[in-house]
Amino acid sequence: MMLARVADSLYWIGRYIERAEHLCRISEVMLTATLDDNESATEVARIALAAIGDHEESEEILTPVEQVRNLLFDRDDLGSVGASLSRARENARQVRDQITTETWERLNILYLRVTGPYAEQEFAQSASTYLHGIIADLHLFKGAADATMSHGEGWRFLLLGVHLERAQRIARLLDVCFGDHAGPTPMTDHLAQMAVLRMACALEPYLRVYTAEIHPLYVLQYLLFDEDFPRSIRFSTARIQEYLDKLAPRSTVVSRAGPERLAGRLNARLEFADLDETLGASAILGAVVAECSRIHHAVYETFIDYPLEQRLPA
Amino acid sequence: MQNLRSLDSVDRFRIVETSRASLAPERYRPERFYDEMFAADGTVRPHYAALEERIATLTPAELGERQRTLEQSFLLQGITFTVYGAENTTERIIPTDLLPRIIPSAEWARIESGLTQRLRALNLFLADIYGAQKILADGIVPRDLVLGAPSYRREMRGLYVPHNSYVNVCGSDLIRDGQGEFAVLEDNLRVPSGVSYMLANRDAAKRTFPGTYRAAGVRPVERYPDLLLSTLKSLAGDWRPNPQVVVMTPGVYNSAYYEHAYLARLMGTPLVEGRDLVVHDNMVYMRTTEGLRRVDVIYRRVDDDFIDPLTFRRDSSLGVAGLFNAYRAGNVVIANAPGTGVADDKAVYAFVPEIIRYYLGEDAILPNVETYLCREAAQLDHVLGNLDKLVVKAVGASGGYGMLVGPHATQAERDDFADRLKADPSNYIAQPTIQLSTAPCLVEGAIEPRHVDLRPFILAGQKIVVTPGALTRVALKRGSLVVNSSQGGGSKDTWVLADGEQQP
Repeated sequence: MMLARVADSLYWIGRYIERAEHLCRISEVMLTATLDDNESATEVARIALAAIGDHEESEEILTPVEQVRNLLFDRDDLGSVGASLSRARENARQVRDQITTETWERLNILYLRVTGPYAEQEFAQSASTYLHGIIADLHLFKGAADATMSHGEGWRFLLLGVHLERAQRIARLLDVCFGDHAGPTPMTDHLAQMAVLRMACALEPYLRVYTAEIHPLYVLQYLLFDEDFPRSIRFSTARIQEYLDKLAPRSTVVSRAGPERLAGRLNARLEFADLDETLGASAILGAVVAECSRIHHAVYETFIDYPLEQRLPA
Repeated sequence: MQNLRSLDSVDRFRIVETSRASLAPERYRPERFYDEMFAADGTVRPHYAALEERIATLTPAELGERQRTLEQSFLLQGITFTVYGAENTTERIIPTDLLPRIIPSAEWARIESGLTQRLRALNLFLADIYGAQKILADGIVPRDLVLGAPSYRREMRGLYVPHNSYVNVCGSDLIRDGQGEFAVLEDNLRVPSGVSYMLANRDAAKRTFPGTYRAAGVRPVERYPDLLLSTLKSLAGDWRPNPQVVVMTPGVYNSAYYEHAYLARLMGTPLVEGRDLVVHDNMVYMRTTEGLRRVDVIYRRVDDDFIDPLTFRRDSSLGVAGLFNAYRAGNVVIANAPGTGVADDKAVYAFVPEIIRYYLGEDAILPNVETYLCREAAQLDHVLGNLDKLVVKAVGASGGYGMLVGPHATQAERDDFADRLKADPSNYIAQPTIQLSTAPCLVEGAIEPRHVDLRPFILAGQKIVVTPGALTRVALKRGSLVVNSSQGGGSKDTWVLADGEQQP
């Protein structure tokens, strides 16, 4: 039992943290890749910008570093890393009584690093060191939360946010590589595929499974269906189902589209998918994005923004 | 707390130059004000000896380093208040001084019994004026003074209040007069804040001066959250086996939000906002992930005016519609009770010694600061004749508005104020210019005297408990008497020493 508003905040902390980490990682990979001046670099930059999403083509042509700077510090852009971390912290402040001091301090340090007076200067000195530092700090936050928070209801809402965000983001990344939003030519470039794996933090684990043989089908299979890799979509959907199963029985009213039922269905779809389905990747990727968003709404209806009339004592 | 009054007292401190590298307290010599550390003849007071010894071994650089570590730890913990500016919003830490202020046990014993006595009497007074009104009938306190005050809530007439304890959390402001005796400057009976700084300062002081702390035999304050919770639970203990307590905050934009979250966290109770609560059939519920759950005790940090738009201010969005009806029905306890503000009104303040005598038959242990009521003709004459020596305050106002500081005003201002006084005398009180005591503070690498006050915290449920510690507020500008955090005031830890553990 916890306040609905608190569950809401914890859920969004999870989402914002995951979003910030994903954006930083894609940015870092893009900056490293574009040090070279070749076709792979162009392809990587296209993928990165497309995966980051809704950035309209700007009038002026920005260098990758400028683009990343905007992505990090642009205060007007609600999708920026700075905005995500500010909002995560703002949410954490509102539930300061619910998270441990250790966890709060990690998040507060991150916030001060990204919004502090020296942030842009540090970034200018070495963009990649800066991004690396932010990602490491985000890991510390997750580690502190894991090690100090009680793994109960609040924790589940936090991680529910993390995994819903992750599943949607990875699905989007795969979509711009292999799905409807892919480039005009099929992706075969070795370096570009390595970069995509890096963007999902998957290169090293992938190599252990498939060796250095990198093939679009394998990349797709790995990031969609792998059972153990924490950034594969199936791993996330399994967690989403697990957390919702634990959260659900506590709710007194079972709504028709209960989030745990939606999560179970999505997870089953990935668990029992035909590998050939990957040939038409866009269908399953589209389904992941759509189902995650339905789960999000169902979570709200069940736990957070429920109609009062249903819950009043008789 | 009184604002304003920036006495330029720089010249009252003789600065003695010294060649010693360490921060020699010899530099520090307050002459006119009572000083917490040094007696009038310049010797260190015995209860400060251990601290003085420790400071003498530290170089200015070491002290500065400790101060920086302290500030950094406050920033990281988010112990900040928000300053809203036109351009951008920033968060600042409340300036914190690392040198503790020390109070010997005998002196504390007097404070403790004085505050207990005062709060007992004030709770009896509140029960009376919202009940039989005997004190008004007996003419001890003028009827119009109480019933005409805007903070008097007629909605509270005749309501049941558990243990007749209207004020459950009190944070009185004490000062020392020129002779060094403590006096009560103000009773804060509404929603006093600052207790989180008392706890955070203690935490920091233990890390800054661990050895001195242990040797001095300081009484612990860490039980405060626990005592607060049991006080709150005792309010509903008679009718609910395991009462659900919540802390109610106006929200994250309130300047004391940190404290609300801090107390909720340390008590293990939910921190709710108005929008988390619903009233149905005169029962209060909070919206949880599992549906609605009954609430029994609300420790509210929201002013009376804002707690219920149906009963009080209609434009409030911070409160809960129907909350007061649930309270009236006896289904929920609000702490502090609505309407306690009438007893810390500036005019009622002047009557507190009489109130104590009336209900308890005792003399006040802690005196008031001398106060002239302009409603009394003789006192008005005195005030008008001495406007250049007095501070005149409007009864209903706070925060330094509607106030005249005689010694610093021009003749024109005084004349203007005299007219206002004559036009509406009952709206004004006057007090002599207050002399706060000084205590050593670390300011830009040097130890200098700064004015301080003392805010202890008193809890009242079934019984009254005074936490052996306090928030010492510091006026950081030299000579300034303003200790409010909104006006550049800071704070420091306060060590109350246990019996017999004092250093010689």
